[in-house]
Amino acid sequence: MRVDVYIPLILPLLLTAVASQVGLKVSPALAARVLTIAAVLAATASTWALLLLAATLVNEAPHVATEAGEDGRRLPDPVPVAIAVAAIMLLWLIGFRLVRALRAHYATRRVLERLCEGHPPDSELIVAASSTPRAFAIPGTPGRILVTAAMLGALEPAERRVLLAHERAHLAHRHSVLSTAVTLAAAANPVLAPVRTTVAFLVERWADEEAARRVGDRRTTARALARAALVAQRARPGCALSFSEHAVTRRIAALQTAPLPNLWSIGVAVLALGALPAFGALDATGDLLRLLGESLPG
Amino acid sequence: MARTGPHGRAERRSAGELESEVLAALWATDEALTPADIQGEIGGNLAYNTVHTILKRLYDKGLVLRDVDGRRGAYRPAKNAAELTAQAMHEALDRGPDPIAALQQFVTGLSPQEEEALRDLLRGSGT
Repeated sequence: MRVDVYIPLILPLLLTAVASQVGLKVSPALAARVLTIAAVLAATASTWALLLLAATLVNEAPHVATEAGEDGRRLPDPVPVAIAVAAIMLLWLIGFRLVRALRAHYATRRVLERLCEGHPPDSELIVAASSTPRAFAIPGTPGRILVTAAMLGALEPAERRVLLAHERAHLAHRHSVLSTAVTLAAAANPVLAPVRTTVAFLVERWADEEAARRVGDRRTTARALARAALVAQRARPGCALSFSEHAVTRRIAALQTAPLPNLWSIGVAVLALGALPAFGALDATGDLLRLLGESLPG
Repeated sequence: MARTGPHGRAERRSAGELESEVLAALWATDEALTPADIQGEIGGNLAYNTVHTILKRLYDKGLVLRDVDGRRGAYRPAKNAAELTAQAMHEALDRGPDPIAALQQFVTGLSPQEEEALRDLLRGSGT
């Protein structure tokens, strides 16, 4: 209990430290998947570890202490009270962050439903007659692709195919599920926020690679990204909001080199980084149950 | 046949995908397009009849209209639903924290240096 319970709280730091490096070495499809799974495992384990720490406070409950005193038993004290109290406060914070993330998720869902209104349910492409150049995938069954008229007008025919293939890849590989999962993981454990950023970048890279494969041309794919980024920039000059770490430039650079391999050795190592905190948390759970058995008579 | 050729030529497109491409082509221009125009635009050895069938399907769905004052047999995109969607999108964007920012966006913002580099890229390979 003394050591195990802290493992799930330390290891997510390691996952965060390696996340962006994994993205540079491994194909985006594999990297995005293993990082998301590891982040969810790590966040679940760290939250569970906090619950275990909070549960040790049961020894401080007056009736437990009194009964133990009457029976002449000595209560084990695995964790300092201050740490248990801190754990409870962190759990409140996590609860608040999870609720906020879920609210944002459902708010976005409602907006997306409105965007689809009035369009035939069996058509994939939804055009918005807007002069703001934008394009994104709308997850669902079936998923849809929303593109504004301004974005379509700015691209060459081959580049429009790239755009559609890119958004289709998001839908076909359910990238919204990965994105929601890693968002909730980062809400439960803020240390994992950089993993979330990396996964967001990797699903774009994944969709770029898929588009390049479908269209059969990496150069056209890179040009489509460049042109779309330039026209989007012109529509909102000086807008630093969506700057996001040179993401487009890095995606274009990646398309100008050969695709990265599926390095399973690295993939398994990342999964292990997610599984270790989970094992630590499980082990600590066993220890705590034993301690509680000693504390509570009957 | 899922893929053609070892040198990464384009893959075959499904009917639904072709519908999206034809609709996208019609929206990309202010002019009405005939099936022949569209055939030239989206390429890929698409048969004239196929384009015609897709246009018919889009017409039945109310997504395209036959051009009344222009060339015979030309089509334009229907605007109604697209305008409602644009309105809903702008309302959502104006309302505060961008709910669409959480989605997988095709592109994100650029720094001035990056803008210049991307312009060079498009110029360099000849537009």
